[in-house]
Amino acid sequence: MWRIWLLFDPRRALVGLGVFLFVLAVLIHFIVLSTDRFNWIEGPHHSAAAQMAPLPAAVK
Amino acid sequence: MSGVTKTASGLTDNEAKEFHNLFVSSFVIFTIVAIIAHILVWQWRPWLPPVGGYATSAIDGVKFVTSFLA
Repeated sequence: MWRIWLLFDPRRALVGLGVFLFVLAVLIHFIVLSTDRFNWIEGPHHSAAAQMAPLPAAVK
Repeated sequence: MSGVTKTASGLTDNEAKEFHNLFVSSFVIFTIVAIIAHILVWQWRPWLPPVGGYATSAIDGVKFVTSFLA
């Protein structure tokens, strides 16, 4: 397994790996942030209608 | 130093082994941190919804029911 470093230059491999992992991490964080359930900044987004739902009409 | 064979990356065998040890231990540490993070997030909010989807908060259910009132 260590022979891989006879093929690939460690410095370029580390830089490539770092960039790849960083981009992937940012992507996943934004995907998760865009969901309703896992938005850890604003929490679930109640749609405007839900917040200002009028009282149900009086039962005749 | 004529005995040294030229490798693609220019590393000698020993250098490759030395680097590999560091690489593997760093990988293990990274993975442990990731596992801990996932455990914490799972405790906060699991991410495999049941068939009907995540149970929304109770108020949504009430509003859904009250919407049927004439």
